Amino acid sequence: MTPLARSVQAVLFVAEKPVSRGELVRITGATPRAVDAALGELEALCEDTGLRLAHDGQDWQIMTSPDAAAYVAAYLGADRVRLSPAALETLAVVAYRQPATRAEVEAIRGVNCDQTFYTLMQRRLIEERGRRDAPGRPILYGTTWEFLECFGLTSLDELPRVLTLPEPEMTA
Amino acid sequence: MAVDGFEGPLDLLLELVEEKKVDILTVRLGELADGYLARVRALDQLPADEVSSFLSVASRLVLIKARSLLPALEPSAVEDESETEADLRARLVEYAAVKGRATALGDRLRLGERAFHREGGTVELPPRGGDTSALAAAWTKVLTLAARPRDEELVAPGDRYSVEQRTAEIETLIAQHEALSFATLLVRVPGERATLGFAIVTFIALLDLYRRAAIDLEQDELFGDITVRRKARA
Repeated sequence: MTPLARSVQAVLFVAEKPVSRGELVRITGATPRAVDAALGELEALCEDTGLRLAHDGQDWQIMTSPDAAAYVAAYLGADRVRLSPAALETLAVVAYRQPATRAEVEAIRGVNCDQTFYTLMQRRLIEERGRRDAPGRPILYGTTWEFLECFGLTSLDELPRVLTLPEPEMTA
Repeated sequence: MAVDGFEGPLDLLLELVEEKKVDILTVRLGELADGYLARVRALDQLPADEVSSFLSVASRLVLIKARSLLPALEPSAVEDESETEADLRARLVEYAAVKGRATALGDRLRLGERAFHREGGTVELPPRGGDTSALAAAWTKVLTLAARPRDEELVAPGDRYSVEQRTAEIETLIAQHEALSFATLLVRVPGERATLGFAIVTFIALLDLYRRAAIDLEQDELFGDITVRRKARA
C-alpha cells in the first residue's frame, strides 16, 4: 500500500460525509492523478474486507460491504427500506436517465408521478439537481448517496444492467 | 397509483402483450384494442384524470386498428407523429425496459444487501487551547484551592436558587429577547463570576424549557457558546 493510499484511507475513515477528489488533492498535496491511483488502490484493497470504497461522481466515501448488511442493520437497529412498484418505476427512470425532469418520467410511465416523487424525495433517494435550460426551467432530479447505499451500489456504474426486454413466458 | 394491479395505461397494455405471449416488437398493436377496451371497461371507479390517460391510449389503439383495417385511409392533417403505431410501440418498449429495471432494483431491495456509512459525531476533539501546560496550571489551581482552610467555605452561606424560580426568570427573559447567550445566562449579575450552584440550576432550567419545547438551543461549534432561542409558536 502506497503512503498516499494510506493517507487517503485514513481521511476517508474519519470523514462523516463524502470527500471530493479535489479535497483529497488539496489535503494530501498530491497530484489529481496520484490521488486517482491511490483511490484505485484502495478500491481494490477493500474487496476482501467488510468495507467498500463507493463514489458518486467525484465524491468518495467508505461504506460497509453489502454482504455484511444483515449484521450492520442488526447492530444499528435499521429498518429495511420498502418501496411500492410505482415508486420503483419512477426511481428506475430517474436513476438510469439522470438528470431527469418530472415530465420526462411521467411521459415514460404514462401516469402522474407526483406521489412517487414525493415519496422518493422524503426518503432522500432522489434530490433536485438544478434546472433544465428549457421553457419553464423544469427541475432536474438525480439519485443520492442514500440511493447508492440503499441498493448496495459502490457507484452508478453498478446499476443492474437490464438490456433484454421481459420475454413472454413460453409455456407449452 | 396502482389500479387493480396496473401502474397505468402502458402497464395494462404491456400486461396484454404478455398475456397473449406475443413479441412486443412485432405484435400488431391494433389487435390489442378490443382486449384493452374490455379491461378498461372492467376497471371501476377510476378518478377522472386517470380515466383520461387510459382513454388516450385506448383511442390510439382504435385509430391504429382502423388504419390497419383500411390501409387506403389517408392520415388526416391533425394526426401527428404521436398517433402512429411505431410511436406507441416505442413508448411501450421503453416502458417495458423501465419496468424491468424497476424489478431489478426491487429485487436488490428485497435482498437487503445495502451499504451503510459511518455516522458522524464519533470523533472526539480535545477542548480548544488544551495543552499540557494549561493542564498543569489547572492542576496547580486545584491544589491551591484544596490547600485553603475548609471552614470558611463551609460556613459561607450559599445562595439558594430553585429550578422553578430560574425557569420563570429565563421565560421572562426569553419573552423580552428573542435569543440569549448561554454564557450570559450562567452569570447572575453581569460582571460577577459564575457560581457552580447557579450554573447548575440554570442548566437544569434550560433543559426543562427545552423538554417543554419552549426554547430552541443552537451551538455552532463544539465547545462554543450556546444560543438560547425563543421557540416560534406554530
